[in-house]
Amino acid sequence: MLEKKVLEHIINEALDSSADFAEVFAENTMQNTLSMQDSAIQKALSNELKGVGIRIAQGYKSVYGHTNKTDEKSLIALTKDLKTAFSGERVRDVISLGEIQSKNNHNVKVYPNEVDVSEKVSLLKRADKAARLYSKDIKQANVSYMDTVQNVTIASSEAIYVKDSRVRTRLGVSSVASNESDMQNGFNGPGGSYGFEFYDQIDVEEEAREASRIAVTMLYADDCPSKTMPVVIDNGFGGVIFHEACGHSLEATSVAKNASVFSGKKGEKIGSDLVTAIDDGTIVNAWGSANYDDEGLPQKRRVLIDKGVLNSYMVDQLNGKRMSEASTHSSRRQSYRFAPTSRMSNTYIDNGESTFDDIIENTDYGLYARKMGGGSVNPSTGDFNFSVMEGYMIRNGKIAEPVKGATLVGTGKDALKKIDMVGNNLLRSQGMCGSASGSIAADVGQPTIRIASITVGGRKEDAS
Amino acid sequence: MNFKPLFEKAKEVGFEAVQIKYSESKSVDLEVFKGDLDKHEISQSKGLVLEGIYQGKMGKMSTENIDESNFDSWIQTLKASAEAVESEDPVVIYEGDETYQEVEGVYSEALETLSVEAKKKIVFELEERVRNADERIDISEAFYSESNRYVLLENSKGMSLKKRVNHAVLGAHVVAKANDDSRSAFDYIQTNQPQDFNTDELVENVVERGTSMLGAAPVESGKYDIIIENRTSASLLGAFLSMFKAENVQKGLSKLKGKLNDTVANSQVSLIEDPFMEKSPKSTGFDGEGVATYRKSIIDKGVLKTYMHNLKTAKKENVESTGNGFSGGIAHTNLFIDPGEKNLDTMLKDMKSGLFITSLQGLHSGTSAISGDFSLQASGYVVKDGKLDKPVSLITLSSNYLELLGAIDTIGSDLKFTFSYLGSPSIRLNAMSISGK
Repeated sequence: MLEKKVLEHIINEALDSSADFAEVFAENTMQNTLSMQDSAIQKALSNELKGVGIRIAQGYKSVYGHTNKTDEKSLIALTKDLKTAFSGERVRDVISLGEIQSKNNHNVKVYPNEVDVSEKVSLLKRADKAARLYSKDIKQANVSYMDTVQNVTIASSEAIYVKDSRVRTRLGVSSVASNESDMQNGFNGPGGSYGFEFYDQIDVEEEAREASRIAVTMLYADDCPSKTMPVVIDNGFGGVIFHEACGHSLEATSVAKNASVFSGKKGEKIGSDLVTAIDDGTIVNAWGSANYDDEGLPQKRRVLIDKGVLNSYMVDQLNGKRMSEASTHSSRRQSYRFAPTSRMSNTYIDNGESTFDDIIENTDYGLYARKMGGGSVNPSTGDFNFSVMEGYMIRNGKIAEPVKGATLVGTGKDALKKIDMVGNNLLRSQGMCGSASGSIAADVGQPTIRIASITVGGRKEDAS
Repeated sequence: MNFKPLFEKAKEVGFEAVQIKYSESKSVDLEVFKGDLDKHEISQSKGLVLEGIYQGKMGKMSTENIDESNFDSWIQTLKASAEAVESEDPVVIYEGDETYQEVEGVYSEALETLSVEAKKKIVFELEERVRNADERIDISEAFYSESNRYVLLENSKGMSLKKRVNHAVLGAHVVAKANDDSRSAFDYIQTNQPQDFNTDELVENVVERGTSMLGAAPVESGKYDIIIENRTSASLLGAFLSMFKAENVQKGLSKLKGKLNDTVANSQVSLIEDPFMEKSPKSTGFDGEGVATYRKSIIDKGVLKTYMHNLKTAKKENVESTGNGFSGGIAHTNLFIDPGEKNLDTMLKDMKSGLFITSLQGLHSGTSAISGDFSLQASGYVVKDGKLDKPVSLITLSSNYLELLGAIDTIGSDLKFTFSYLGSPSIRLNAMSISGK
């Protein structure tokens, strides 16, 4: 890691311009991944990232440079190159950094580098075996494992000088079920900000069987009808709908530029009374948590929507200047190769009062989306598209036959208003979120919810 | 850096063969948003990937901490990686081919040396032209993204190959707004020649795409004849590319398994891979394993001729690698559906009525590359009397990609490539199931 005097040198070199902000993000990350297919380890890969990102800004206008030539001379040369963008008169005094700050709210018991590869291999074997034993229809299982230890030092002209260590691990199981006529897959991928002790806390076999259960269920499913209908979206990964359709539109990245449907709507009613939504980067050992955001500010809990009313955006320092708002400590990035921006951490719709059974019993006809697949959204229009990984028809208040190939299509702002039942069974689930500052770990979550009416796309034409 | 001592040390430890891929890259990224420079990034990086065969297994690692003093620890890491591998799959480090095609026109010094100031000027001008082109343009953004790359591939069997490529994308993104309705659009130019940054057509396209979509609404559910626009068809191809990769075929993850020399598409369809295309950063005389590349038809007039192979998958089937081994797996260089004769206007006239699909959303989630099924949110235009009529959005197109390839009615002449160098002309399909209102 860079010495304090080098960090100060870079920041002061940058401020010797008309810039009013300078930041250094130094990173050293070790990642290990293992992948298994055909019940044999195919790849064992280790990767080391080592580099520095330098950001210089005047107001909200910024320049960014990154390099893995991390000697002082190269870094100063890069800084000189970048600061040519701000050629006006000097506005800031010379700064000096205080004592380095750090905290550790996400205790790790067994660091991944202390675990022998053979232990990781036997973990994959357990998952593979359980996934395959679930059914004779399971013809293939792809099991993956990853661990990462990201050590960062962040220093900026805003009296920031912190170090943080982010340890994460995740197991992924993708099961393929097939028969003569069809092939379907199911996925499950639990993870957290833990070391290897995580695998003592979860039921590895049960997590693996879950992927197989989805694949086999869908193998015998009929095509989903195309129709507008009520949709019950189950807890856990169902929260991806909020993440994609609303969460991204509440990030300053799009709000600040007026490119979001929720720009200028703070204090306004944007969802039904039943909707309270939270983004919380402080949840202990959660997948999307950290001690500090990637501008070195302590992570926080943010109430985004309070009983339907837009309460807070997710804001980073630079976009905050454009919006005349303070940072909500929401700045994140994949690595030193990315300039940070406002991103989600662990985002979920909060618990309501209905039980799961209430919601199903009160639905005469509709779709029950038990597991959601991925989705995408156009943040300027709010148009979204989600695939349903595991779906069932609901008939006469009961869960009926499984259906495959369903997609949910709509716009975020409509869907938020149409949520008419919210369950009491909040669950979070892990995902990777890709956006402007790279791919980052993020939890999605919600209790079971019902959207009164939404367009369901499927391959079956007769919608009766 | 001289890697010979690394190869020597690895042999002493018991490695059969070792290979390194060293790369250096330099990039420039600029974005102008409503008249302001919103992004200005420069980077310089280097990376090293090491592979080595130890007791019949392939170990692998990568690092950015590149220093000769790490040679010993790299070899230990590489050995631990090889020891964890259980796969009985064949492993190969290639001794090299006798000759390699010299690829022309993939590096332009003029691009790399053009000043950042000049590049900024191009982006500022583009954004300004887009912003002022129509009063309904609410948000306008222009971007420039350039990368320059040098790659060195060397191994202990004496292979030593290198290449230098560069390219840039100049593009614009708009949001048009009217009557509380917003529509976004973007278009781009990819090249390595600064003189190709002629923005007239780009400005016209992006503005037209945004403004003409205003007021879009779903059509009735039903069967429609459709034309999928070139770049949208190319993106759709991308979602199903894994079907053509031998590793997926061999593992039972492709519906094309056992279909070699069978008809898998309409007889008009040829799927071509051309590693020697000018101005493409994907063009190369050798793949990531050092195998000489060549131009080939993956589908020739509807018949599946070959899968894409790397050394490992080829060895399993006792065939030659097709020069598609990249980054440890299989990838394409420049891959496209061979264009036909008709331009888009003629195709629209011939179709008379139906839908023109210009966008498919959710390609990373609404598709199953294993089964070929897809169900995607689409938008575009109604085609009436052979012309584009009112805009359409929030409809869903559901089908199966192999069924689609079999059902293609017409292939246009308007080949266009995506950022990942997948190409397609516009394609027409009849009686496709669309769900709308």
